[in-house]
Amino acid sequence: MTALIPLALAAALLPPLLGWISIAPNRLLSPRAAALPGNPPVLAAAVLYYLSLLGTLLSACRPRLSWLPEAATILAILFLSATVGLGTAAALPADSTVARAAPAAGAWLSLLVLSLALAAAAVMRGGMPALPLLVGLFGLTVLGATGVLDSLSLMREAAGRAAELRDALAGHVALSLAALLLALMLAVPFSALAMGRPRLEAAFLTAASSIQVIPSLALFGLLIAPLAALASAFPVLRELGLGGIGPAPAILGIAAYLVLPLARGILSGLRVAPADLVEAARGQGLSPSGVLWGLRVPLGAGVMLGALRLAAVQAVGLATLAALVGGGGLGTLVFQGIGQLATDLILLGVFPVLALSLVVDAGLALLARLVPA
Amino acid sequence: MIRFDGVSHQYGALEALRGVSFEVPAGALCVLLGESGSGKSTLLRTVNRLIEPTAGRVLLGGRDVAGIDPQALRRGIGYVIQSVGLFPHRSVAANVATVPRLLGWDRPRVEARVDALLEMVGLDPGAYRDRRPATLSGGQAQRVGLARALAADPPVLLMDEPFSALDPGTRRGLQVALRRIHAETGKTILLVTHDLEEALVLADRIAVMAEGRLVAEGPPAEVLGPGAPEAVRRMVRTGALALHRLAALPAAGAAEDGPALGSPGLPAGATLEDALLLMLAHGTGSVSLEGAPPRHLSMAAILRASAP
Repeated sequence: MTALIPLALAAALLPPLLGWISIAPNRLLSPRAAALPGNPPVLAAAVLYYLSLLGTLLSACRPRLSWLPEAATILAILFLSATVGLGTAAALPADSTVARAAPAAGAWLSLLVLSLALAAAAVMRGGMPALPLLVGLFGLTVLGATGVLDSLSLMREAAGRAAELRDALAGHVALSLAALLLALMLAVPFSALAMGRPRLEAAFLTAASSIQVIPSLALFGLLIAPLAALASAFPVLRELGLGGIGPAPAILGIAAYLVLPLARGILSGLRVAPADLVEAARGQGLSPSGVLWGLRVPLGAGVMLGALRLAAVQAVGLATLAALVGGGGLGTLVFQGIGQLATDLILLGVFPVLALSLVVDAGLALLARLVPA
Repeated sequence: MIRFDGVSHQYGALEALRGVSFEVPAGALCVLLGESGSGKSTLLRTVNRLIEPTAGRVLLGGRDVAGIDPQALRRGIGYVIQSVGLFPHRSVAANVATVPRLLGWDRPRVEARVDALLEMVGLDPGAYRDRRPATLSGGQAQRVGLARALAADPPVLLMDEPFSALDPGTRRGLQVALRRIHAETGKTILLVTHDLEEALVLADRIAVMAEGRLVAEGPPAEVLGPGAPEAVRRMVRTGALALHRLAALPAAGAAEDGPALGSPGLPAGATLEDALLLMLAHGTGSVSLEGAPPRHLSMAAILRASAP
């Protein structure tokens, strides 16, 4: 746990050195670091921030309750956010409606360092890093709901685009889920077929891995032409929503990347049961499907769930690129933001992607723990 | 009960079995003895069709096994292997209940059967029923493996080097348990081993295999007798064959009438080997057999009985 000490010290020093908050005259101009206003709520939040950091330091030096460093670090993240939120509310010029406030470099870097410390503490305790990060994220959501962070540029952006954000999030989940299901529909029967046929398995895995070397954006692009041709040849398909542009190439492309991790996971999961155990099971009179469902699947469930987790997280990440072929999802906000050089808009797309990945990762990891080894 | 009729098996160019023919009578404990690669395991597995003969046939109770559905066949034959092969994700009780469940027995019947079997193999059902295989010692696991094989009360038990991975003490305990179970249940047992001593402890009949062929078959004393084939002689240290033969011969067969005063007593049912060891331990030339009428056994009688 002593590895947390330099991280906590960095989190303490960065904001005063590189700035807590920054103010920009409007949404598109670059922000400049501004002084932290010295009113009582801001000072109180800052003091609580340093007390939390002290808590992280002390609990890291003298480990008594194993989750204490994580709890203190989550509190530090929340109080740092509150300090920045209250500080920007006080520092924004009262006469300007277009001025924007954001955390300054020091505060951003501290948040990054603290997230790192949180994940590290969880790993050192032997837990999953995603779980405390999710708790921290939940705390930030609650803090956002209280209105403390309302003056932040990011929150203003979110308030202005609430409907758009909701649609993008729903679209993102739908894209990831559709791609994951499609990949499962390919990987499961192929794995079942390739089991015990080494040459078919080699051919199948080679095909699946050769897709991995194509850059994702190029793959989406490559799919546009054939899908467009298909849609114009068969108008029925167009009615169903298939086309060169839109969710179809994105889902197909993402699914193509997921087939390899899924198939490899399923195949190695099916091999977890040792050969002599399978032989013993056959000798007892178990049918081939009895051997599969009574022995191979339960013993390989951990490995297979691990592969599903990897593929699901990959799906959430890849779905961000769907926006480039008109597929929607949170990438829409990210690429709009890049196009407009509007950092807040980019972050508005990026943070939900991050949160979604964490939720999927932690959820499936918890599920895998329920499976007896 | 089990009849091998010209059974051959070929793995590619390798002839694992070359026309093996013999019969295991019902209720016998027949040990298939041979060095590794002699084809004994392959032969065993033709009985439950884990391996199909490329020529010849295997008859079980008069029926050609090739005509029986493999899964139904296997559910009617107990099968025990060296690595035990217990399902690690299931409790001891669930492992023992594998075949009864496949056969669709109702729950109370399965549970009663599991407890009775654990009892039979010498494990307390209350203490072991709910344990996982990973928490068992090698000997306990193999006892559970034996209980699992006996679960559906199959008339035939196939055992492939069941005790080879155990330490000597544990192995002896399981051999004794198997002999007792065999005597109690009257199952026909075909057991594969490469260990001559194990064969002598367990077997009613020994079938010796070498290079895919059956080289000798019959009661132990006969197989190890004066006319023992070369393959059998190769398995034992020079001169040790006679010593092993003593273990296969009952002491009562060589005894003479009349008491031998002052000589140590030998329990009824002992072998000539036991008699010789007793003489060596006491430095005497004769032992008396316990029981009536008084009989005794001399060193000379042992020499006569074991003479080639």
